[in-house]
Formats: sequence, structure tokens, C-alpha cells
Amino acid sequence: MRFMVIVKATKDTEAGILPSTEEFAAMGRFNEELIKAGMMEAGEGLHPTAKGARIDFSDGEARVARGPFDFSRDLAAGFWMIKAGSLDEVIEHMKRAPFPSGEIEIRQVYAAEDFGESFAPQLREKEERQRARAAKS
Amino acid sequence: MRFMMLMIPLGYESAPPDVQLDPERVAAMMRYNEALKDAGVLITLDGLHPPSTGARVSFAGGTPVVTDGPFAETKEVLGGYWMIEVASRDEAIAWAKRCPASENEIIEIRQVQEMADFSDDVQQALAGFAELPHAGRT
Repeated sequence: MRFMVIVKATKDTEAGILPSTEEFAAMGRFNEELIKAGMMEAGEGLHPTAKGARIDFSDGEARVARGPFDFSRDLAAGFWMIKAGSLDEVIEHMKRAPFPSGEIEIRQVYAAEDFGESFAPQLREKEERQRARAAKS
Repeated sequence: MRFMMLMIPLGYESAPPDVQLDPERVAAMMRYNEALKDAGVLITLDGLHPPSTGARVSFAGGTPVVTDGPFAETKEVLGGYWMIEVASRDEAIAWAKRCPASENEIIEIRQVQEMADFSDDVQQALAGFAELPHAGRT
């Protein structure tokens, strides 16, 4: 199973304040554990929403708003892609993440076999080919 | 530059664990994904199960506190994402506008951090660790 661990934005991440060198090093050690455990597929940080944009499709047309965005929304600041046997396994590992504060959200990623009957076999095949190519590039 | 296109489907915050997707909409998204791939901008993409099957871990008090989904107070949740490689935010916006999204959907565009975005001190602190796997880097 694959999981996305979403790191929520904080006032600091939204202000573009990066963690200290020590905090980066602590996260580096944590990531190294995830790599050694064979769980880490990717890890990325995001620039603040001030450098982002939102496209709203609610009027039947795509309307663009530039960031920054209202902090009362659930904004992301980064994420891991994790391979694990269960949600509980991800939770147990992530509880050890060196965060002094803040929150993370753990979500299972869809695999082709999750879609069942509604996901036509030819679409499934196409999706698998697409993923294989994306992984190679 | 790498950008995330974060798909935020309003209402997904309360979707049941076994939510069914509309095959026609899936097919339209597949065509859009093909267009991204054919243009050479697609790095990777994923869809996420509803938050009712997920969990949150809060570190607020110094001790991790686990909450199972769904998350009652939440107005917006992620439904999936694309990671793309384009030359500018405007190019990312142009791609997002072409998405066959529904009226309840919002796409948020966010630039992904690169090592070069960090200070020399941080780059040095991280140099001692095994190189992190990054999406689109092999």
C-alpha cells in the first residue's frame, strides 16, 4: 500500500521561514530511517502559497486567484510518499517525526485494483502504463 | 521548475470510504493526464482515498496525538495531485485551467522546493545524509 503524508502549513511555513539547520538535520536523520526501512518513495517541501495560485471551477469556467491564501484553510507545506503494509504502520513511524508542533495527515493512495468494476480494464491498463512511464522518466 | 497541482474536491471531506468514481469523469481525466504526458510536463500523479480512511497526527503539545478520519471540522481536503515540470507559475496555471474539473473542484498550484532554494548552511547540514528520493529524480 502507498500513503501520502501531508505536512500542514504553519505561520512559519507560510511566511517562508525555513527550519533551522538543526531542525533540518533532525529531519534528515528521520528520513534516513524511513529510507533504511524501505518505506520512503519521495519527500518534498512546498514554497508558501504566496507563490502559488488557485483555479476555481465553480462557475463552469476556470477562475484564477493568486496566493497567499487564507490561513483558516487547510494548507499544505510538504509531503512524503510512503510505502507500508497498513495505515497503523505509517502512524507508528510518523509519530516519531521530529516536529516540535504542527500536524500531519495520512491518506492512502489509490491503486488500480481499488477501482473495481467501474474502472474499465483498458483504463486500468493505461493507468499502469502511465505510472510505469512516469516512474522511469 | 516543479509544481504540484493539488486537486481539492469540495465535499470529499465527508465522502464514505467506498466512494464510487464516475467512469466518464475518470476517462476525461485520463485524457487530460495523457495530454500532460505527451507534452512532457508530467512527473507523477496520484489519487487519494477519502479522509474517512485516513488519520491525522498532531504534534501540538509535544506529544503526538492521533485522530482517525473523517475530520469533522475540515472544509477542504486533498483528493489527489499531479506533479509537473514547467518553466513558470503561469505555465502551471495554464495547464490547470485545461483540467476537466467539476464545478465543486479547486486546483491549488504550489512550487516545489529544490535544494538550491536552501541556504549554504542547510545544504551542508543535509550533505551528510543519504540523498532523498525526490519525485521525478532518479
